Amino acid sequence: MKRFVIAVAATALAGSAAAADLTVGFSWNSKTQPLEQAWEDYMIAEAERQGAEAGVDIEFIFNVADADPSRQQSNVEDLLTRGVGIVAARAEDAGAIGASIRAARGAGVPFVTFDRAAENVSPTAHVGGDSYDQAITTAEAFADLLGAEGVEGKCIELQGALTDINAVNRSKGWNEVDARRDEISTIAQVPTEWNPELFRSGLANALRANPEANCAFVASDFAITAVQSALEEAGRWAPAGEPDHFWLATQDLLPGAVPLMEEGYIDVATTYDAFKHSEEFVRVLIALHKGEDPGCGPDGCLAKGRVVTPDTLATTENLWSRTYR
Amino acid sequence: MGGATLGRLILTFGFPLVLVALVAGFTAASPGFISPDNLVGLLHAMVPITVIACGMAIVVMMGKLDISVGSTAFVSMAAAGVLMTDYGWPVFPACLVAIAVGAVLGAFNGFVVVVLKVNALIATLGSMIAFRGLALQITNSQVIVLPDEMRGFGNLMVGPVFADILFAFAILIAIHILHRDTVFGRNATAIGNDEGTARRLGIPVDRTVFLGFVLAGVLAAIGGVFAAAQVGSVTTFLGRGLEFTAVAVVVVGGISLFGGRGNVFWGVLLGALTFEVIRSGLNHVGANPYLYELIGGAVIFVAMWAAALKTPKGQAHG
Repeated sequence: MKRFVIAVAATALAGSAAAADLTVGFSWNSKTQPLEQAWEDYMIAEAERQGAEAGVDIEFIFNVADADPSRQQSNVEDLLTRGVGIVAARAEDAGAIGASIRAARGAGVPFVTFDRAAENVSPTAHVGGDSYDQAITTAEAFADLLGAEGVEGKCIELQGALTDINAVNRSKGWNEVDARRDEISTIAQVPTEWNPELFRSGLANALRANPEANCAFVASDFAITAVQSALEEAGRWAPAGEPDHFWLATQDLLPGAVPLMEEGYIDVATTYDAFKHSEEFVRVLIALHKGEDPGCGPDGCLAKGRVVTPDTLATTENLWSRTYR
Repeated sequence: MGGATLGRLILTFGFPLVLVALVAGFTAASPGFISPDNLVGLLHAMVPITVIACGMAIVVMMGKLDISVGSTAFVSMAAAGVLMTDYGWPVFPACLVAIAVGAVLGAFNGFVVVVLKVNALIATLGSMIAFRGLALQITNSQVIVLPDEMRGFGNLMVGPVFADILFAFAILIAIHILHRDTVFGRNATAIGNDEGTARRLGIPVDRTVFLGFVLAGVLAAIGGVFAAAQVGSVTTFLGRGLEFTAVAVVVVGGISLFGGRGNVFWGVLLGALTFEVIRSGLNHVGANPYLYELIGGAVIFVAMWAAALKTPKGQAHG
């Protein structure tokens, strides 16, 4: 009955949201961080750019659930009754969002999950980051860099939580490149459970056990201060060009890591790329609007990050962590 | 008779023996494990949990549990972190505020347990969730990068050892003396042995329990200060799971979960050392990353089993 009401309301109110060719209703789970504002700004800019190229006038309606899954469900229903052409959501709860996906399906409206995939119900499409590719590109660039510097990389791998698919993908990517490139070899693996205390103590332990280590792969630089602390303890915190420099390859290049890359402590990173996510998201919206297959893989339409080094940091366009910090 | 004596010996000295065996095993596999540098690093890493477990030990001695200590550490440092970064407060006053926040949160737990008569486990389960939510509000779920002076304190050396090791050692001794040699400590033990009897004997049970929770809150905040100083930031992971590690430390250290029995100094030291030796040792031997939680869980299981064997039948947790 609820689905029927939503479907009728969606049809009746379609005219109210029909000023644009495509009205996209986007449900944020919360919107308290610069990342979410960056995503939103890039989505609007990309809708204008890609929409003009495709001849589609795209308009967004955003609402925010303040980290409440129930509120997100009612927000999605609001969007459906406003007659949007596509609903998208960054889920607060990967399981609870299934009810909203089913409601959209009942109303005949495509549903796109953004950044966080749904657990039990398949949406029309999912757009997120490609964590496996992130690690591959970082590791390849790192191997190139160390090779060019004539450094035999004996690296410590700081892993994330091994229950997190992103952490598993990043470890897999790093180790695949390690297996095929002579410039890097992993001499210790440290599980951190994404806990900064374990980043610090694990790296400190690994450095004492393997004093010959000269590089590290960090599964996310959100904990970069913990890495810094461990390297300071070991007397290895020095920028590139100094004899004690410890080579660092990180994932994400979050705002806290940007100044450390500017100062030469981080040598290479692949972005957790708000701009690329938004670009891919708008591409998928246009494809769905045109009734085309967006061509997603089994895990969704995954946007690849970009490799950034101290040399390219200032010139990489639309780098949210530099602009929004 | 011989068998019974052997059993008692194993129950009494089982975990020290396990610790010795672990150290010997890891040293054989990786000689660098026993190096002075590594031992100092190992003590440095166990500072936050040692301090937090001291508070947990006092609460457990009274036959209670406080599983909000990790969240208390998070709220306390979230408040201090915001004061330092958003309001430009110097490190020391901000850390004093963190400790005051810990005391207030501990007092809240004490109030719920003593005045509202809510079971301590249930009360602190609720506050564990609520305090974490409060901390997420304070930090907006963002990483707070602390001033360099704070990280400098985390890595400050006094001679060959880190300063925070000396602080933690002093706190451990102080809490041990508080438990063994003061009226408060003796009352806590009496309450843990039998709360009803303690009341009949005229022991101020409510006041003692309330102060025990305040103390646990203060020590959780101090542990949070040490943890944040070591990593140089306040993240949403601060204190997560620390409550369960603190309980495990207390149990492995031979302090009875049913209250009234145990030695704070040796118990907390042994428990914290056991877990850090395992983590550091597995690092040193390059163990499969999936082994860490398996072995940590196995140690907790064995400790609980040993505690159950030592506990008189029919004794229930209060």
